[in-house]
This record gives sequence, structure tokens and C-alpha cells, in this order.
Amino acid sequence: MRGYEPLWSAGMIRPTRTSEGIAALALALTVTALLLANPAAALAAGSLALFLLWRGWQFEQDLAAAAASLTVAREVDRTILRQGTAATVRVRADVAVPAGMAVRVRDLPPAVAAGDAPLSLPGKAAAYTVRLMAPGETAFCGVVLSASDRFFAASLVCRRFDAPQIRVFPAGVVENGSGTGGAGSDTEVDRRAALAGQGIRGFRPYQMGDDLSRIDWKVTARHDAYYVREPAGLEGGSPLIAVDLPARAGDPETNARFSMAVSGAVEGAINAREGCSLLVVAGGEVVGFLPRTQDIREAFSALGGLAPLEPRAPLYRAPGPAVLAARARVPLRGTGQEAVYRERLGVLLAAFAKESPAPFAAAVRTALGRAEAVEVRLYSLLPPGDRSHLCQIVHEAKVRGMRVVLKAPAGAGALPGIDAVEVL
Amino acid sequence: MAFDRRFLLLSLGEVLVVAAGNLAIALVLQAIVLAAFLGDLRGYPVFAVGAAAFAAVLYAAGMIALLGLAAALGCGYAALTLHDHRLALRAGGRA
Repeated sequence: MRGYEPLWSAGMIRPTRTSEGIAALALALTVTALLLANPAAALAAGSLALFLLWRGWQFEQDLAAAAASLTVAREVDRTILRQGTAATVRVRADVAVPAGMAVRVRDLPPAVAAGDAPLSLPGKAAAYTVRLMAPGETAFCGVVLSASDRFFAASLVCRRFDAPQIRVFPAGVVENGSGTGGAGSDTEVDRRAALAGQGIRGFRPYQMGDDLSRIDWKVTARHDAYYVREPAGLEGGSPLIAVDLPARAGDPETNARFSMAVSGAVEGAINAREGCSLLVVAGGEVVGFLPRTQDIREAFSALGGLAPLEPRAPLYRAPGPAVLAARARVPLRGTGQEAVYRERLGVLLAAFAKESPAPFAAAVRTALGRAEAVEVRLYSLLPPGDRSHLCQIVHEAKVRGMRVVLKAPAGAGALPGIDAVEVL
Repeated sequence: MAFDRRFLLLSLGEVLVVAAGNLAIALVLQAIVLAAFLGDLRGYPVFAVGAAAFAAVLYAAGMIALLGLAAALGCGYAALTLHDHRLALRAGGRA
């Protein structure tokens, strides 16, 4: 959340360097005129001062004309959404720009929104993402018209362009298990859990081709227009992109396709959403992790050109604590010695799962926790050999209830536990 | 760099104006120099008339005209500020 008022509402015109130079010249001529009693110098000084005043007046007239001609078209992908979720705004401003004046327009998001709009040229659409942080009805704060000519510059806040209204529902409140009578201080907002529990991330106006079963009739009746639900699984928060660096350089064409797919996914996620989290692994080693980054250069830097990297910490097909714990919970079957064997195996596995340090799994678990994503997109060439690090990532993600999509070359196989496979 | 060259030419032009000595020649030179500096002459006659009026006052009253000009500039600046303030209020929806 920002404080626009102190920055923009003053609105006074500001002199440029050219104006400051002319003012200094006028001052020097005034001194000359007084010292030498030279009427020509006095005329030069006075006319320069008059010139600045005239240009200032001219600039004000042009600015008023530009402000009067300003029209703004703004679209938000969802006008009803949950607290903390992101909305993509597309805005286009049209201005009749007076001759000799340069104009830029910056959108002002709602006061309760986190995120800034870029400066854009008149007639050009700009898109940006904001995150609404407070519940209730809110509107946009208008636009800032930044105008300048050779002599003056000014920023004018035009607040009449505040449409559309946005309704923000509060994030769910989850009890911490303290039972009945727990005080208010014993509760905390758990955004991810609340969204996962309710399964709806927001509402948006109905568009042609939308599934009719997703129409929310209560919201539709309230607004007298069709609104559809947006399930959390279909449009989650920022995704976690997990990249498994290849151990050695293989087929150049496959490598190129892999690099393009990963780079495109990172770029697309950062441009289209509120950023993405990036987890880069090589065998049983976490090479890099960026939680919810919006800086594309930082993300590409973390990828390190996707150069092959020989794993320095092989896992030797270790299943990881998540799998061990799952196996330890397998219900007892069979009779006699088999039941005894299974019971002992369960105890053994449970002990391993508890005591195993498993630094890779722990690092992945921490990364998944910090990413706050609902979907993991796992990019790997799936080379033959040890894939236990990928299995551990998948299992840790499943433990957290995340959806896992594997992106791998055709015919490379699959991993247990994943939700979908997409061919690179 | 273009800005520097233009401003240098303006400064040289002002030296010429001061060196002219005669007020009428100085006025003509000043009008030409500022017109060349400005490029876009939209509304320029308004300024030219103001400069000519100031030259006339200067010719009639002498150096004391500078004081009058200072007062006039103060009033002009106040009017400009008021106009700017009203524009900001109108755009902000408060007037």
C-alpha cells in the first residue's frame, strides 16, 4: 500500500533545466543593468522574466486542455475476489496532446492495493497486476497525468476515473485447534488453507464459452449480470517452477527445447501473473531457490543458463522421508508371519523417516512452504538413472496438497504421484 | 547537447542585446533571439506585445521600471499558482 497524496496532490508546475537556466540568465542581466545602468540589459532581463511567465501560463493552458480531453478505459479481469489475491488491470488513456507537450499517464490502483502501474503513452494500453489487501468495496484512485514541455513539467491527479468498483472478500480465518472459547488472539489467517478449503479463488463476469456450471447464481442475482466462479485449482497464485538441471550435455536439440520451455514458462509466469517461485535442483542438491519473484533478470540469473551440472550429492535412490512415512502407514494385511513382518517393517520405516536427516527433502519442504503455491510445474529431461530427487519433490508437494505437473520430453516416462504430464 | 547549444546561442544573443545600446534595436533583437530560441511561435505575439510595453515603460520611467516589473511578475506568479491550484482541485474532483 502506498501513500500517493504527498507525492502527487501538490500538482504545482515545476521548472525544467531550461527554465532554470533562463532565470539565472535574467538574474545576471539584472545585476548587469543595475551595475552599469544599462537600459538594454534591463530590457533583456525583464523580457526574459516575462518570457518565463508567459511560457508558464501557456503550459497551464495546455495542461488544462489535455486534462479536459482525457478519457480512460480500464478493465479488471475480476471485479469480485478474495483478499490477498491478485488482479490484472488493463488500462488505456486517450489524450489530445497539445503541440510541443509530452504526456504520460500512470494509473492509480485502489488505496488498499499493493502494486504499481507503469507510465504509459496516450493511446497505448498498459497492463499491470495489483493485490488487494483489505476487504470491502474499493475503487481505483484515478490516473496521474504527467505533462512536460521544454520549460515546465507537472503531474496532475485526475480522480474522476475510478471505475470499476472492486469487491474484496475477506480471507478465511482458521482456528488453531484451541477449541471452543479460543480468544481472538488465538486465531490466524491462513490464506492458502482458507482458499484450498473453499476451492473458490474469485468471481468474474461471464464470458462466451465459459462452463455454465461455474455460474454463481447468488453473485449473479446480486449484480444482475452473470458471474462465474474461478476455482482455486484453475487459477491459483503464483506457480512454483521446479527445474531439474541435466547432469550432462545431451542432444542439443532436446536441450534447446528444454531451455526454451523453461525460459518461456518463467517469463510467462512473471509477465502474466504476480510472479513465480523458482526452484533449481541438480540431483540431490538445491542449486537455487527464488520465492515469488517478479524480477525476470533475477529469475534468469538463478537458472544460470540451464547449463548441465553434475550432481554433487547423489541420493542413491533414497525414497525420502515423505515416502517412508507413507509406507510406514500402510495398513496391515495378511496373517501370521506376514503380518508380523509388515508390522516390523512399518516400525523400521517410521524410525528411518523420523531420524533420517534428509537435507534435500528438508530444503525442498522449506522451499515449498515459502513459495505458497498451489501448483508445481516440474521441468526435467528425465534422464535414465536415479530419479529419486524428483520423486522426493513430488512427494513433498503432494504432502502439502499441491498439484504437480511434469513437463518432460516425449517418451521419457513419468514419475509416481504426479497429476499430469505435458510433453516439452 | 542540443539544449546546451541552443542555450549558448540564447546567451550570445543576450550579449548582443546588451551591446546594442539603443532600446528600440535591443527590443527588436530580443524578439528575434527569443523567437529563434523558442522555435514554435504559437502565441508569441502576446509575449511580444508584453515585451514592447515593458520597453515603453522602461524608456519613459528609466531603471525604476524594473521594480514595477518585479511587482507585476509577483502578481503574475500568484495568478499562475492560483490557476494551477484550481486546476488540481478540479481534476481531483474537489472543486
